[in-house]
Amino acid sequence: MELRLDPELENFRQEIRGFINDVLPPDMRERQRRKVANNADVTDQLRWMRILNEHGRAVPHWPVEFGGCGWTPMQLFIFNEELYAADAPEFDWGGTHMLGPVIYSYGSPYLRERFLPMIREGRTMWAQGFSEPGSGSDLASLRTSAERVGDTYIVNGQKIWTSGAAHADWGFFLVRTDKTVKPQRGISFLIIRMDTPGVTVRQIPQINGEAHLCEVFLDNVEVPADQLIGEPGMGWTYAKFLLEHERTTSSFIYWSKRELARAKDIARGERRNGRPLSADPAIRARFARLEADLLALEWSVLRVLAHEELETPEAAAASVLKIRGSELQQEVTMLQVDLLGLKGARYFDVAPTPPPTPDEAWPDYVPGRTTVALITRAATIYGGTKQVQKNILARLAFGL
Amino acid sequence: MDFAKSDIQTMLLDSAERLLSDMSGVEYWREQRHRPFGFDEARWAQFAELGWLALPVPEEAGGLGGTIEDVALLNIVLGKALATEPYASSVVLAAHILGQADDRAAADEALGGIADGSLRIALAHQEDGADPLALEVGATHARPAGDGFILDGAKLLALDAPGAARLIVSARIEGEEGLGLFLVPVEAEGVALEAYPLIDGTRAADIRLKHVRLPASALLARGHRGAQLLGEAIDRASIALMAQAVGAMEAANRICGTYVQERKQFGAAIGSFQAIQHILADMFVAAHQARSMLYHALANADRPEAERAAALSAARLVIGEAGQLVSRNGIQVHGGYGLTDEYAISHYFRRLLTLEKQYGDLTLHVGRLGDHIFA
Repeated sequence: MELRLDPELENFRQEIRGFINDVLPPDMRERQRRKVANNADVTDQLRWMRILNEHGRAVPHWPVEFGGCGWTPMQLFIFNEELYAADAPEFDWGGTHMLGPVIYSYGSPYLRERFLPMIREGRTMWAQGFSEPGSGSDLASLRTSAERVGDTYIVNGQKIWTSGAAHADWGFFLVRTDKTVKPQRGISFLIIRMDTPGVTVRQIPQINGEAHLCEVFLDNVEVPADQLIGEPGMGWTYAKFLLEHERTTSSFIYWSKRELARAKDIARGERRNGRPLSADPAIRARFARLEADLLALEWSVLRVLAHEELETPEAAAASVLKIRGSELQQEVTMLQVDLLGLKGARYFDVAPTPPPTPDEAWPDYVPGRTTVALITRAATIYGGTKQVQKNILARLAFGL
Repeated sequence: MDFAKSDIQTMLLDSAERLLSDMSGVEYWREQRHRPFGFDEARWAQFAELGWLALPVPEEAGGLGGTIEDVALLNIVLGKALATEPYASSVVLAAHILGQADDRAAADEALGGIADGSLRIALAHQEDGADPLALEVGATHARPAGDGFILDGAKLLALDAPGAARLIVSARIEGEEGLGLFLVPVEAEGVALEAYPLIDGTRAADIRLKHVRLPASALLARGHRGAQLLGEAIDRASIALMAQAVGAMEAANRICGTYVQERKQFGAAIGSFQAIQHILADMFVAAHQARSMLYHALANADRPEAERAAALSAARLVIGEAGQLVSRNGIQVHGGYGLTDEYAISHYFRRLLTLEKQYGDLTLHVGRLGDHIFA
């Protein structure tokens, strides 16, 4: 048992920090730091992917043959941590962390050659079409159908909560290709171009003023059959694979750590009766709990990354990451809002032109905090609700 | 970073599981409660034979020189079995202070006694109304006299003192800054103990010290170093107790998981009800996070004082709250049976509550961490 961090990794961290500092354009970093909306600027996201790709670091977690860096899980952990700490635009996770691994694991040579470079080089934004109006937690009941006719699939149905669909060039969808078998067995994984005739996107106005989540209507959409990944009927297996492949991602540990640092800035900056909030023992106690809980989450992530031998299945440890990760995202963002007091109730437009000018009463950390906190209520809902995770835990950890 | 156990650690754990799995459970615990010191001296001798008492003792003093990770792994098993032996106080804490003491001859003799099981030593530091985490004392003081000292004062809640032959007493040395740590035989003239049990069956004592004459060799450390040493030793004992808490929580979860499958109401095992399942899921999450924080405390055990203390308090916070979540819900899913002395869960509840209070309770650790964050 060796729990201390390998000193070599500290050198790696310094190298990564220097690298990001060298290549991340200051204007991009500033936009990301000060953005009011929860989601990163799409242009910045793609531009940042291209910059990373020029240095061979756009998809470091992929196998080396597809453009990965061959790093250890700990190196990847540090890379991600440093990206968030530096306010780099986020990856388009749908492409880099979900679709990419499914394609290089199960896709045909044609799909690999066509789509992996597209993702790696930041040429496309991706939409994820899983949920349907009638199929949320019970995803296997999904009804969007894809019927094989010659060399094409004819797709009909409706998807919802498809994030970023309005800006996406491509989407990956779970569709039903066989209605005669057990629900999980009849699902396939299909890539669809978003400008194909019959695809209609409606942006859904959100609780926080954004309209990032979308409904996607598919009406007799013709999709070339070679855009089906792997085998027909294996979509459910692939979807489970991508969730398991990225089982530490759901912790959002890097993001929450960055937001905790921001909360500390707010606590030092906001004053009550002439004293900074950070001097108040009740505020300090809230920070102590959150910091300790995030450290616990971080170590739980490290345990999964290192494949610690456990008495319960590793999937149980992954559910812990999802439950605590989502709860802590909510706690850290609500702490930020609470620290702002009534200032936190002010509405800020998510796409302001020009951006709000900070002054002493309205520092640049105010706009965006509540916008983000509002949509972060989604964290315990998407990707398997907190309650579904608890059902899973009861089964895996206790055999109930 | 590697969570895999070494061969030696695996052997240690196997021997611990073998010995303790037979000596655990309600019957066993109720028996121990009536023993003079709340534990079986014959089993303590077995601990010594198995090398457990020599584990944290330095090799130069005849010990095994084990790491704090080894100590923690053993204590997870002790916690699982709700062992009431004074391992954290008499072995971990005392060995750390003695291992660094100024007078090597006296200290090595005592360390030899710890390692072979013939000597138990308890810490007498806490005083009424004082902050248990503050490395300073109010009332207890030592006056230089001739070659030695005269000690006066009063201590409260000295854990495991009733079964100990010697005490490590913290005292202000007149005319000096910092803290003096004295090794005091319990039978010395002027030392009076009032012993009592704690709710988990372990023992503690209030101690009166009246003109206790000590030779110069009784002084283990003094000044700033005395305080520093005491802080390190308390933190190490705290790690051992956190490991016991993690073991206790994991065992409590297993017990509850079995109980809800056996207990039937409305014609079904109560474990089939989602309301019960979600309580157990919460308990699993809490225990899992608790173990993660034990690792965090271990990884930072040898860091400079401020970081070590912050890491330790963060761990105490998560583990303390997890222990409460697990044990409170543990009783809840047991219904009325959870409140009886005849079901194991009530024993785990009492142990986890006692562990949360030792060496600074939850509130104090929250405060210490909060101050560190904005220092």
